[in-house]
Amino acid sequence: MTYLNERSIFLEAIEIDDLNRRTEFVKTICEDNLALCASVQELLAAHESSDCMLDRKLVEGHPIDESAVFSPSQSQSFVATQHVGMLVGSFRLMEKIGEGGFGLVFVAQQEHPVKRKVALKIIKPGTGSKEVVARFELERQALAMMDHPNISRVFDAGVTEDGRPFFVMELVRGLPITEYCDNYQLNLEDRVRLFQDVCSAVQHAHQKGVIHRDLKPSNVMVTLHDDKAIVKVIDFGVAKAIGDDLTERTIYTRFYSMIGTPLYMSPEQAQMSGLDVDTRSDIYSLGVMLYELLAGTTPFERERLCSAGFDEMRLIIREEEPPLPSHRVSTLGNRLTIIADARQIQPSRLHSAMRGDLDWIVMKALEKDRNRRYESAAALASDLRRFLNQQPIDARPPSAVYQLAKFTRRHRKSLLTLCMLAASLLLGTIVSLWQMLAAIRESDQKDAALRKAIAAEKQATEARQEVEQFANRLTQANLLLTNGQMHAESELWSSALEEFTQATELQPSYYLPWVVRGQFYARLYMWKESAEDYQRALNLGAPVDEPQWIGVTSLFQVMGYQSEFEHLQAKYFAILKELNSRPKWNVLRSVLIAPSEEQDVGLAQLAQNWLDQNVPPPHLRRPPRGFAGDFQRAERLPPIECEYICGLAFLRAGRHSEAVRWLRSAAAREWPARGLVDAPLAIALEQEGKSSEARELLNHSKLRIQDWMDQAMDIDSINRKLPWFYLAEAIAVHREATYQLLGTRVDSQPQIAALRTAAIRKLDAMAK
Amino acid sequence: MSAEVTKILSALENGDRQAASQLLPLVYDELRKLATHRMSSERASHSLQPTALVHEAYLRLVGPGNATSWDGRAHFFAAAAEAMRRILIDNARHRGREKRGGNRLQLELHDEHSSMVQTQAEDLLSLDEALTQLEKEDQQLAKLVELRYFVGMTIDDTAQVLRVSPRTIKRNWAYARAWLKRYMDGKD
Repeated sequence: MTYLNERSIFLEAIEIDDLNRRTEFVKTICEDNLALCASVQELLAAHESSDCMLDRKLVEGHPIDESAVFSPSQSQSFVATQHVGMLVGSFRLMEKIGEGGFGLVFVAQQEHPVKRKVALKIIKPGTGSKEVVARFELERQALAMMDHPNISRVFDAGVTEDGRPFFVMELVRGLPITEYCDNYQLNLEDRVRLFQDVCSAVQHAHQKGVIHRDLKPSNVMVTLHDDKAIVKVIDFGVAKAIGDDLTERTIYTRFYSMIGTPLYMSPEQAQMSGLDVDTRSDIYSLGVMLYELLAGTTPFERERLCSAGFDEMRLIIREEEPPLPSHRVSTLGNRLTIIADARQIQPSRLHSAMRGDLDWIVMKALEKDRNRRYESAAALASDLRRFLNQQPIDARPPSAVYQLAKFTRRHRKSLLTLCMLAASLLLGTIVSLWQMLAAIRESDQKDAALRKAIAAEKQATEARQEVEQFANRLTQANLLLTNGQMHAESELWSSALEEFTQATELQPSYYLPWVVRGQFYARLYMWKESAEDYQRALNLGAPVDEPQWIGVTSLFQVMGYQSEFEHLQAKYFAILKELNSRPKWNVLRSVLIAPSEEQDVGLAQLAQNWLDQNVPPPHLRRPPRGFAGDFQRAERLPPIECEYICGLAFLRAGRHSEAVRWLRSAAAREWPARGLVDAPLAIALEQEGKSSEARELLNHSKLRIQDWMDQAMDIDSINRKLPWFYLAEAIAVHREATYQLLGTRVDSQPQIAALRTAAIRKLDAMAK
Repeated sequence: MSAEVTKILSALENGDRQAASQLLPLVYDELRKLATHRMSSERASHSLQPTALVHEAYLRLVGPGNATSWDGRAHFFAAAAEAMRRILIDNARHRGREKRGGNRLQLELHDEHSSMVQTQAEDLLSLDEALTQLEKEDQQLAKLVELRYFVGMTIDDTAQVLRVSPRTIKRNWAYARAWLKRYMDGKD
């Protein structure tokens, strides 16, 4: 239902019988729209008016019959007065003392056989259906059987001439139990004693098969007989007997007819799912009342429940765990003093007086799951007696397991999501770990990751067909990647990028498109995009000691991807540990570009061994461009660069003199990436106490990097220039050196961003 | 006459919207004639029972044996409601003029001891005004009021004529009633 206009609001509002609530409803719906609110109120006033010419038949002036049906409250204001003086059975109605959603309660005078005043409850005109009357007949028998000093007697019951059921009950003049206890300042023990009588009454009724359904303080009255307080539970079974249940009305009528009692309503009643209400609902209501008697407030704040919407209110009652009574009193603020006074106790002691037994007794009665409540009112009374006698009680604080179970129940949906997420993460981790190990062992990593990607895809779709499609897409993606790489070689950047991007879209769960595009971006100095793609590929379990991954640790380091950096570094450490003697310089340098705890002398020794075994000593090298040994193609580095890496390894191991030696050797001659050497050498020299030389080198490093950057701005010559990863590595180590020597941080981001902007501009120009 | 109305009704049933305009004058004339006759012959009770009147008009114009569908009846009653409204409003206007010293009327709902009828005439005029306003807001609601008030149809019959559920009729009636009352009260 949308509340767009006065008509729809009006039509909803007239479903609400109680005029005050109806006004509230209109105010709530109209919110700030005062004009709308006023016009609807005028309509409603007109609706309530009994003086409308349309109600009279033309000419004759008789009201049209049907009008009474859809304006039920129209007559309400005079219903009561209409009733006064009326004779119901042998009872004459006097003043009206109460009114519920469907019933009216009057004081009535009985003339014979005895002359006395009684309470007579009668349902409102027009609300009695055949069904109601039939149910009523069943109930009146049960009610008549009840005979208990704490239950107000039902003297008589019947049906009026116009078919409306009524009850005649003992007239109880007293105070609601909560008011009584506060007015007479009963202490906690006396309150508990009095409450035992309530339990006793409820137990009796339950044994007779009568459920109250509407236990609340105003139905539990306390009267004084010779200064002795007597509890009288009134209105037993009446709710059911007169059909005051909540199934037949529209949702709003239900809402508002229930607003008087939701505070004491059990979760299963609030659910209104047609679940049968049984004696345990009464136990819950008893729990709420006990809570209020002790803590001075209901488990859920009256204001909060009443201001909540219908569904929200039901949700609160059904799902929300109320605070312990003892805990509740400590959050009462100003009201605490008043509440403590009424219980003749120091405000400071109220909390501890309730903590423990009373807390658990109340909370056991208030269990959301009725199977966990006290099985009967008698059981509740027994526990209260044990409390008064200082004996151990039945109710116990819930065990951790139980609390966990309850937590799970409350947060079912979010937990399920979380579990699934965790499971998939776990599975993903296991799979990728396994894949990684397998990949290293078989040294067939591409294949393994492909299988992983297929497995991931299969897992997601659980369909063979999907795997076939996957294979198709894979072929397409590979084709796109090949084309893209061809275009990239021909410096047709924008076509290449387009193809790589298509490949990522076609095969997003396969790492390769991301790696290829990431590398492409890196070459164009679009490092922001590059780092994102590599991050993606890393998470997809890509094998990382492929040539495409050279420099990615530096990239992550420079771009601030700290956790990815560590993740990747850890992978490389693992590879190095598994390694045989075959050199993997690029893996080694990848872990060395920033200090880490795992860097030890072992790495430096490894580097030196590699050099000793495979690189001829300087005097035997064949200038000008000799390559070290019979390395794998990817690992073929100029010996001088290997010396630099070796120096870096000693630096990280804290062996500064050796580091200086290797780095000086690497700095002795000019080579394309000679600029890398200055920064680590500066760090090593600083550690050796050669500060002035260190600072000089740091300055060189800065100038060289600047030079590299300037060259890089010319995108057209990228293919002919130094690979991008040297610059990333230089920036990373230079930044570290600057911080160590000068204590200042180098911010390279503006320059990196400028490089990126230049590349984007170039790409745009090419696309056009 | 009877045949003519039947013809129009079946044309309406077949979707000829033009036919409606031919129907109204016929129904109006018949109702007016009936009302005049009724008023003069039942002067003592001065009662005008629109429901009876319209049903009588129906019998006279369409005929009892004529197998007209509810669709046709619906059209007839819709027209009758409007006709009835016009007749009563016209009459009330006459009364108003008469009160202000106008000519003696020709018709007819009038009798000597009817200050009540006099008041009602004024009420009717203000209702008509309100109804005209309501018509602008929602034609269907105005039609509902005509059927309910000027023809005195029951909820169920109105529901059939207007092809909506009785519950909707009840709710709409409550709304229209309150709306009109508010409008008329606002004019006072």
